[in-house]
Amino acid sequence: MNSIGFYIHIPYCVQKCAYCDFYSLAGRDPAGYSAALIKQIKSCKKYYNGKFVDSIYIGGGTPSILPPENIKTILEAVRAYADVTPNAEITIEANPGTLDSRKLSSYRAAGINRLSIGLQSADNEELFMLSRIHTLEEFENSFLLARMEGFENINVDIMYALPFQTFAKLSNTLAYVADMKPEHVSFYGLKIEDDTPFGRHPNIKNTLPDEDTQVRMYMNACKVFDACGLDQYEISNFAKKGFECKHNLKYWHNLDYIGFGPGAHSMVGKQMFSYKKDIDLFMQDPTDADALLDENYKMSIAEASTQYVMLAFRLSEGVSVGDYNSRYGLDFEEKYLEKMQPFIERKLIVKTNKGYALTRRGMLVSNMVLATILDFDEI
Amino acid sequence: MQRQDKIRNFSIIAHIDHGKSTLADRLLEATKSVSKREMEDQLLDNMDIERERGITIKARAVTLNYEAKDGETYEFNLIDTPGHVDFNYEVSRSLGACEGALLVVDATQGIEAQTLANTYLALENDLEIIPVINKIDLPSADIEGVRNEIEDVIGIDAEGCPAVSAKTGLNIEDVLEKIVTSIPAPSGDENAPLKCLIFDSYYDSYRGVVVYIRVADGKVKSGMKVKMMNTEAEFDVVEVGRMSPFGLVPTDELSAGDVGYLTASIKNVADTRVGDTVTDAQNPTSAAFPGFKQAQPMVFAGIYPSDGAKYPDLRDALEKLRLNDAALTFEPETSIALGFGFRCGFLGLLHMEIIAERLEREFMLDLITTAPSVIYKITYKDGTVKFIDNPSAFPSPDEISEAAEPIVKASIISPSDYVGGIMELCKERRGVFVDMKYLDKTRMELHYKLPLNEIIYDFFDALKSRSKGYASLDYELAGYEPSKLVKLDILLNLEPVDALSFIVHADSAYTRGRKIAEALKENIPRQLFEVPIQAAIGGRVIARETVKAMRKDVLAKCYGGDITRKKKLLEKQKEGKKRMRKLGSIEVPPETFMAVLKLDNEN
Repeated sequence: MNSIGFYIHIPYCVQKCAYCDFYSLAGRDPAGYSAALIKQIKSCKKYYNGKFVDSIYIGGGTPSILPPENIKTILEAVRAYADVTPNAEITIEANPGTLDSRKLSSYRAAGINRLSIGLQSADNEELFMLSRIHTLEEFENSFLLARMEGFENINVDIMYALPFQTFAKLSNTLAYVADMKPEHVSFYGLKIEDDTPFGRHPNIKNTLPDEDTQVRMYMNACKVFDACGLDQYEISNFAKKGFECKHNLKYWHNLDYIGFGPGAHSMVGKQMFSYKKDIDLFMQDPTDADALLDENYKMSIAEASTQYVMLAFRLSEGVSVGDYNSRYGLDFEEKYLEKMQPFIERKLIVKTNKGYALTRRGMLVSNMVLATILDFDEI
Repeated sequence: MQRQDKIRNFSIIAHIDHGKSTLADRLLEATKSVSKREMEDQLLDNMDIERERGITIKARAVTLNYEAKDGETYEFNLIDTPGHVDFNYEVSRSLGACEGALLVVDATQGIEAQTLANTYLALENDLEIIPVINKIDLPSADIEGVRNEIEDVIGIDAEGCPAVSAKTGLNIEDVLEKIVTSIPAPSGDENAPLKCLIFDSYYDSYRGVVVYIRVADGKVKSGMKVKMMNTEAEFDVVEVGRMSPFGLVPTDELSAGDVGYLTASIKNVADTRVGDTVTDAQNPTSAAFPGFKQAQPMVFAGIYPSDGAKYPDLRDALEKLRLNDAALTFEPETSIALGFGFRCGFLGLLHMEIIAERLEREFMLDLITTAPSVIYKITYKDGTVKFIDNPSAFPSPDEISEAAEPIVKASIISPSDYVGGIMELCKERRGVFVDMKYLDKTRMELHYKLPLNEIIYDFFDALKSRSKGYASLDYELAGYEPSKLVKLDILLNLEPVDALSFIVHADSAYTRGRKIAEALKENIPRQLFEVPIQAAIGGRVIARETVKAMRKDVLAKCYGGDITRKKKLLEKQKEGKKRMRKLGSIEVPPETFMAVLKLDNEN
């Protein structure tokens, strides 16, 4: 029997961060949202009926802004409608400024077994510049509280290539995080998105570390994580053995996931669909798929298999030739080997025992590599 | 009154933007040839490119009827002329079909180099010149100043010449009356053997070539066998007629003094060269019009399709354009860097730009054009002489006994404030100063001898930028002069790129090489490895730049919501790569090949 991952979007936060382009609204009352979500989950049963749900990811926005009882009801509903496996990975994203021990123990009681905390930087000046609502001290309290409440699988988000960031400043953040010993780290390069305060700032690009520094930052971080047992398993993700995020791996393995809430995306089989980023429309009738759908298309085999390659190359394990060939009835090497050759020669792609993977240097230029080898014409 | 007494054949001479087309429109309107409502803006310029650039590329003619104050109705034949130095010969032939010319001068700007050059051409053709001072509605108009300038500079009487606003229509009547009273009527012999001047022709897919003619002597009608005296081609006339503002209107015959057209199932404009003489094949005239010249291309460039598979389309497109443009030449050429294309010859840089633009617009072709070259005259050590228009065929220094390059006589008119900068520019471009004089208190005319090679790059742009747009340029070919020429090769990633080689004077090779290397660095996107750019003369590297390797190009986050976006992003990146030309192991955008053209730092 097939499995499917659930993504539950909570589009609320205390205030928008200067870099963030996710769909989320600051300062709005989330009353009634969880009930609406539950209605939508129920109405989408045809997508997950007969499948195991082995991962649930509550993301945002800032999910920890909701009253913990709401989270509990949502998860109860999911369990009532869907076949959630006993050892399913259930993650909630949390913002240090919004956590306390009551919330954390309530999450545990609701069955949440993984916590993802957005730290971003261990430098209070940088946190202020990013317009985060918390300080380093608040993060540390939240993290330690979570440990006390029994969370044994915690992810910490870090960002690099920030405005005015130096190599030394980032090193401090890395050393601090290593010291906290999380099971998982997501390490993202800041991307300046157009419709954000950062994107609108005319000179922001001049304040960013230069490319060589960014490359050194990335390589150095990989080394630091390596040294404390956090193995790289994706371009931006590092984990202790066995703590890789099951839910996110579904994306990179091109496996089924279904999203709920405005702006959420889904892939069920070859059907890709997403909902409009419109909370009011959603609240009006969360079950009216016709009104809510934004994109909705079925992929051809060509597109699905190309997407598979695009995503698999994000992983350290890379593309599994056997898996690709059996899933799509195609021959990976026939289609890609010649195009990969120049990159293999430059050691940007290596052969693994299951297939092919990008090296770290290859990951850093993965857009260029993928734009060369992938074929969008037949899509 | 005799028939010819009521005919007036004339042209309009004007600098770009001085209002030639607007004045022509007003004349059409005032003669009730066209009502305002019917008139598309600037009717005479009917090619898109002409309208956008505000210039006339090919001559046009139109017949208008004007009822003058003396009560008689006159037939005006307005022959429009191109206004750019590339088309000097065409201008002189158009003028040769007239008895007079209106010299339009902008009341706020005064006379420009191009106007002056064309006025001299008109005087050489013994034309009666009527100065028309235009744009008098503008607050900065200086009618008396311009009148004096016309008298001082050209030496013709400007007293009582019409001062008009073509835009508002003010005093247009004065111009019309002046045409009647001042321009002589034609005085050909209707009974003499046929003698017509071809001043333009174009290919029409239904009629074949339509030949625009001025009948000097005799008569021409359908059924007659005519002969082109220079090309010696003979044809049976199918139709003769006149040009109305709305198209061709057939008539029974054209006689001495008339301006009109003829068709004769002619398949190629090359048989109907501008300046050639049409005569009766059975009873030819004794002497052809003097001054006939084959159109001589002076500037050459390689034109390649961006997509190699479009080579046959490019050939078809060039063949179609040549039907209408006898000055365009092309022959197949192969480049290691660019594949299959054509070496094309043009009258000048503007002609080249127009052809490239028409190929892209009218034939939907994506092109790569290499840097233009002139024709060099090489004397080899063994005494043989060759003319070379392609840098890749330029011999190595030890084979050359003497290399010579074409030189032009250039005339530049500019406000005196900018003369210093212009002289500096001419010096940088190896110009030899001839003389200069004041045209009036504030404007000067400079004469230089300049290598054509230095003009075809970005000279005109540089001149404009150093004179805040005020300076104007005219030039004519003045033969070959020996010169220290070398071939500059460009190496990308240590491989020479044939399409980027060009010929340069030895003294400026270093500066040029460095500038080109810098320009290429700006143009070539980063690759996965470092790309050295080198400029070299005969194996000796004289300049180097480096395109640093691309080290980081990665999307940090790719979760459910990012997947569709990421696919689109990569697809776009892939599209970008498709435009690129592969040179060995590196990819460059097609603009790279033109980068060597825009080198003036002052811009």
